[in-house]
Amino acid sequence: MTHTARDICRRAFLGRSAAGLGVIALHSLLAPRARAAKGVIDPLHHPAKVKRVIFLYQAGGPSHLETFDSKPALARMHGQGMPESFTRGQQIAQLQGRPLVCFGPQYEFRKFGKSGQEMCELFPHIGSVADEVCIVRSLWTEQINHDPAHTIMNTGSILAGRPSMGAWILYGLGTETEDLPGFVVLISAGRGGQMQPIAARQWSAGILAGKFQGVKLNSIGDPVLYIRNPRGIDAAAQQDSIGAINALNRVQHRALRDPEILTRISQYEMAFRMQSSVPGLVDMSGEPKQVLDMYGAVPGDGSFASNCLLARRLAERGVRFIQLYHRDWDHHSGVKANIRLKAEEVDRPTAALIRDLKQRGMLDDTLIVWGGEFGRTPMSQGGNGRDHHIKGFSFLLAGGGIRPGITYGATDELGYAAVENPVSVHDFHATMLHLLGIDHKRLTVKSQGLDVRLTGISGDVVRDILT
Amino acid sequence: MADTCFRCHGPDKNARMAGLRLDIREHALQKTSSGVIPIIPGDPGRSAIVQRVFSASPARVMPPKYAHKELTERQKELIRQWVAEGAVYEGHWAYQPVRRPQPPGIAPSLHPIDAFIQARLAREGLTASPEADRRTLIRRLALDLTGIPPSPAEVDAFVRDKSPRAYEKLVDRLLASPRYAERQAQHWLDAVRYADTCGFHGDNPIPAWPYRDYVLRAFRDNMPFDQFTREQLAGDLLPNATRDQKVASAYNRLNRTSAEGGVQPKEYLAKYAADRVRTTSTVWLGATMGCAECHDHKFDPITARDFYSFKAFFADIKETGLVPDRGARAWGSQLALPTADQQGRLDQIQAKLKLAREALERKTSELESDREWERKLLDDHRDGRLAWRFQRPVSAESAHGVKLAIYNDEPVESSTYSGASLATSREPGHGLVVASGPNPDNETYTVSFRPGAGEWTALGIEIVQDESLPGVRVARGSDRLIVTEVEADLGGERLGFALATSNVASPFNELPPYGAIDAGPSTGWGIVTYGENKNLFLALRFTNKVRTAAVSVMTVRLHQDSEHRQATIGRFRLALSSAGHSWPEASDTRRRSPAEAGLPADVAKALATPETERTAEQCEVLRHYRQWISPDLAPLLAEVEKLDAARRYLELEIPRVVVTESVRPSVTRILARGNWMDDSGEIVEPAIPAFIGKLQASGRATRLDLANWIASPENPLTARVFVNRLWSQFFVVGISKTVDDLGSQGEWPSYPELLDWLAAEFMQPSSNAAGAHPWDIRHLIRTIVLSRTYRQTSKTTPQLDERDPGNRLLARQSRFRVDAETVRDIALAASGLLVEQFGGPSARPYQPQGYLAALNFPKREYSPSRGEQLYRRGLYTHWQRTFLHPSLLAFDAPTREECTVNRTSSNTPLQALVLLNDPIYVEAARVFAQNILKHGGRGLAARLDWAFHRALGRAPSREERRILQDLHRTTLARFTKAPAAAAELVTAGEAPRDMAAKPASLAAMTVVARAILNLHETITRN
Repeated sequence: MTHTARDICRRAFLGRSAAGLGVIALHSLLAPRARAAKGVIDPLHHPAKVKRVIFLYQAGGPSHLETFDSKPALARMHGQGMPESFTRGQQIAQLQGRPLVCFGPQYEFRKFGKSGQEMCELFPHIGSVADEVCIVRSLWTEQINHDPAHTIMNTGSILAGRPSMGAWILYGLGTETEDLPGFVVLISAGRGGQMQPIAARQWSAGILAGKFQGVKLNSIGDPVLYIRNPRGIDAAAQQDSIGAINALNRVQHRALRDPEILTRISQYEMAFRMQSSVPGLVDMSGEPKQVLDMYGAVPGDGSFASNCLLARRLAERGVRFIQLYHRDWDHHSGVKANIRLKAEEVDRPTAALIRDLKQRGMLDDTLIVWGGEFGRTPMSQGGNGRDHHIKGFSFLLAGGGIRPGITYGATDELGYAAVENPVSVHDFHATMLHLLGIDHKRLTVKSQGLDVRLTGISGDVVRDILT
Repeated sequence: MADTCFRCHGPDKNARMAGLRLDIREHALQKTSSGVIPIIPGDPGRSAIVQRVFSASPARVMPPKYAHKELTERQKELIRQWVAEGAVYEGHWAYQPVRRPQPPGIAPSLHPIDAFIQARLAREGLTASPEADRRTLIRRLALDLTGIPPSPAEVDAFVRDKSPRAYEKLVDRLLASPRYAERQAQHWLDAVRYADTCGFHGDNPIPAWPYRDYVLRAFRDNMPFDQFTREQLAGDLLPNATRDQKVASAYNRLNRTSAEGGVQPKEYLAKYAADRVRTTSTVWLGATMGCAECHDHKFDPITARDFYSFKAFFADIKETGLVPDRGARAWGSQLALPTADQQGRLDQIQAKLKLAREALERKTSELESDREWERKLLDDHRDGRLAWRFQRPVSAESAHGVKLAIYNDEPVESSTYSGASLATSREPGHGLVVASGPNPDNETYTVSFRPGAGEWTALGIEIVQDESLPGVRVARGSDRLIVTEVEADLGGERLGFALATSNVASPFNELPPYGAIDAGPSTGWGIVTYGENKNLFLALRFTNKVRTAAVSVMTVRLHQDSEHRQATIGRFRLALSSAGHSWPEASDTRRRSPAEAGLPADVAKALATPETERTAEQCEVLRHYRQWISPDLAPLLAEVEKLDAARRYLELEIPRVVVTESVRPSVTRILARGNWMDDSGEIVEPAIPAFIGKLQASGRATRLDLANWIASPENPLTARVFVNRLWSQFFVVGISKTVDDLGSQGEWPSYPELLDWLAAEFMQPSSNAAGAHPWDIRHLIRTIVLSRTYRQTSKTTPQLDERDPGNRLLARQSRFRVDAETVRDIALAASGLLVEQFGGPSARPYQPQGYLAALNFPKREYSPSRGEQLYRRGLYTHWQRTFLHPSLLAFDAPTREECTVNRTSSNTPLQALVLLNDPIYVEAARVFAQNILKHGGRGLAARLDWAFHRALGRAPSREERRILQDLHRTTLARFTKAPAAAAELVTAGEAPRDMAAKPASLAAMTVVARAILNLHETITRN
């Protein structure tokens, strides 16, 4: 539905109310949706730097060695045995029982921006905003297979059923829009075919109420599941139906005074508003050509580029947590060719999103995160690939409260383990929550006798990367 | 104190501060290392803990500010008083033996439950609410006990029943219904995390539903809970275990498993075992043992040693870290469950197959000495006579609207996956046929081509992989590809096929090639899983050599009429062979132009090897190959193929289930901080948590010993945990709210004596309970629902709301939204769509296409069931753990990746979208409308009454009737003006349409029915 259709609905609603559908408070459907639903953290634990997060999740495990972690020493060791001092007693995935041989970075690194940040030459666009981003080279995680590694990155735990970070943030902060879900997930596929599965668990609300779960926005079929009216029901008929349903529910409420009925009524109103606003959200026909070009987005293609542009549109509409998964980073083979493909897919749109938010004055209250569930081995797999790696990998951060133009932390000379200022997944979560005005130790929910939190029982805010 | 103090001064020795422990009295009375005495009984002034909690100094006050745990003034006062009164420690209530409390003697005739409740209400100055009206009562009971609303006739009968035993009769009738078992099973399946897929990574289907049916039968037959417990935990260890008992042992195998390539076996074995400890301890013991995997419990006396000792009970379960999700070893230990008839048929086929194989082998051996064929074959190969001649179609048509495009010399876009990466290209198609456009469930492709003059021995069908194809990269939908029959004509004359073979390496990955030529519409060839990553090739040997002239046209029909929707071919080529030797080449996807060699590499290699130097394997390859090419062996091979196909189809019919197989127990060590890589921990033997007691077992204790103890009166937890959970089914919250945790962090029960009375009654029914047996679930439920407390109205008063906002005292009933499955069942039952069938394979309701797009291994699309299976109860929905059906998920059904004993209940816009727009709910509204028009009497008012009775068990009020009349009038006017819209709405779903109803009337009534199905009251149990 376009704006015009929405106007029609608006008129239709008024008309029908007058016609005596028994509709009482449908004006709430028409009021502008500035009102927010509050979260449990009220007031905030400290002033927030950002209102929202856009997490550009590079799923599959991007090689830090071909993105943001320059390792000339590894290049010199190319083809030689990996010193056992690095690998002894460490976890290993598909290389179990195989000889471990150093595999040099497949591309050169260059310095970008005034800050002189070092990045792989394949990412010149991100390089062009080097002075806006903070590179963290010292992430580490504990899970070496995709499914559990995604789970810990998203929920801070390897147990299924823990809330994902987006759900936690909604629970803590509430929403800024009632026309759209507060936590939206988009998924794009890469052209390299190395696509690992991603379970819906990654955006689940777990033990929190279902209303905090992420809602997946699809590029094919209905943008949101069941958002489209059934065939034969147009917007006006849908509106009549919802009007009647809510009128009947109000009759019940008058008799029973059950507040759940009022909630139900407001959820139907919100559902209708979602039906009205989602088509406008995903309709990018109004975006100027230069904006589409800046992102490299072709509306409707479901690409990472289009999703980045959608992310901006979601951010503008008050969505709190926007998570874009880009699949196809699992480069067990052909790292060289595949990284190039990925760079082609993500470099331009990532930079465009940062630049676009900045020019709209929104970068200051947005946190942008770029990274995956783990990194990749400095050792070769099959002579041209890299295996999963958990001891050290890189993230990019940008936006409000983040010190721009710096590189934080370091792996050892071969890019194996984070040795300088290591940042755990919980540290990252703690830092993200901190920027949102939340003390991660105080965002808890009781379950099975525990005060469950996103950061488990650890996590320190990485203060050195904050302004 | 558990909440505020024990984190630092409790059981966990690693978290303990100042060496101070307050959860054990002896420790709390001792002088600490810093020389203070925490508690001096009777002397609060000198007791350190009292000084500290009342301290005004921020540096000294306890709990410290950084803990964010504040004590209220009342709590502080309570601590002072408790110390003053002697600091008496009682053990945690849930760990004390269950004794049967005497119900308060208010009135001798009072139901014991009511006696406990009313005694407390009286103390609180409250009174119980009156009984709900009969319409409310029967709907409440039916939804609670069966999950299906009562029919209008049942409501009427109950309302009219003047017998004093009317309610009791109703309870007994509902409890005797198979629906009761379905309802109870749902709760149990949440707890034991039953699902239909493995839950990690590729999330492929596991054979598990026979376990679900075991659970159904157990509830239907009212199996004693102690037996139910024993069979699930250790059915395989019972003496002379029955088939059912072995099926029950699937409980131990329902944990999530991974088949991801880089799995570190030890890590995953640790994960699986920890899952069992968490599940078993939560379900039966209400204990949160999961925490102790990494450290001693913070609040309860559960140590890491307890965790690993408990884990050791399960160390005999045969399993691997990487659990294969396909192939011969898929899912580990399994049990086949043939019916007697199936077993009889299988035996018969096996016997015949054995004879046929022997005949084939005998004849093959007779021909062994003749080596001439090898020379001839090599000659043919050298001269290119084995080559498959790929055909250039001149026409390609479909029966049901699929668009078929032919690419001969024309370039075609291809995107192929090699198992590691994707490559795209644009090259001539070499006879490729590409399907696009409409995607019907079944199709028949008819392709004609001119082979030119020649003599042909075989037809080849190459199924070409492409990334654009969602079904295992070869099919246009589904998670498989199935060709049910191949037919070929030449000049109007049917060509027969004698033999069929394919290039699929593993028989587990395909259906028998013979299925494509057996003239059976239900059998077919195809692939049923992934792992080949190459084009598929089916070779069909003509019965007789086929001669073609220069102008001849050959026509091939590919029938794809499988039950699986859209398991249809996306891209294919056709080929002919003239050699009689040609074999379906295992072609890799990187090859743009088709393989034409017609001789498999391994055969070529074996032939090139001098006879005396061939390995046994090479001899076998040649022997097998010869059977395919030798005209003398063809009839014998055909017989083997036919029987083998019959065997395979029959085996696919026979249900299988994962089961527990006991082997020599592996060594269990305490893993420091849960680190599976640490082999230095102490070895532990199976034991129950030390604070509860000690098992009496001779030798190493087994799972059966554990099960016997769990379900014994010596264990105080199982009965309390179970009845508390059961209570929450009927009153929303448990008597202790924390149904998952009766440990020290669990909530103190609102009615501790009632909880114990119920636990005692569960383990040993009182003597006057006729026909009840120990551990009798049905008796317990009957007892609960017969109480006045259960039968109260849910209506509340402002006074009551203020006194008891959470309704924990139960001076009234509660009103709550029904579970996700029941939301579905109510719509299906009210509309008349519901198909009731007790047990059986899981059903696949409609689901949005593309919902599984983020899955891989295999890449797949969802293929809904057909016919009746679309309308089964929610309980039977295919439970895809990583992508649970979105409508169930929206209504808070758990994914069952983990044990769940308390579902959340939310109220969201997504729920509204599901009820309004999910096709099954639209179809339910449409069928409901058909029934309203057909059976609802004459006139709109009567029809609305009828519809209300169906959905809500009551008549609408005048105002409600008027709202719906308005909706009907407006809508009817709209559909009368827009007949196309009406026509669309009345064809919603696949259930038969009532052609007697006028489209506009039916559409308008559909809108009305849809509104009724969307009401809050419809999905509310009152």
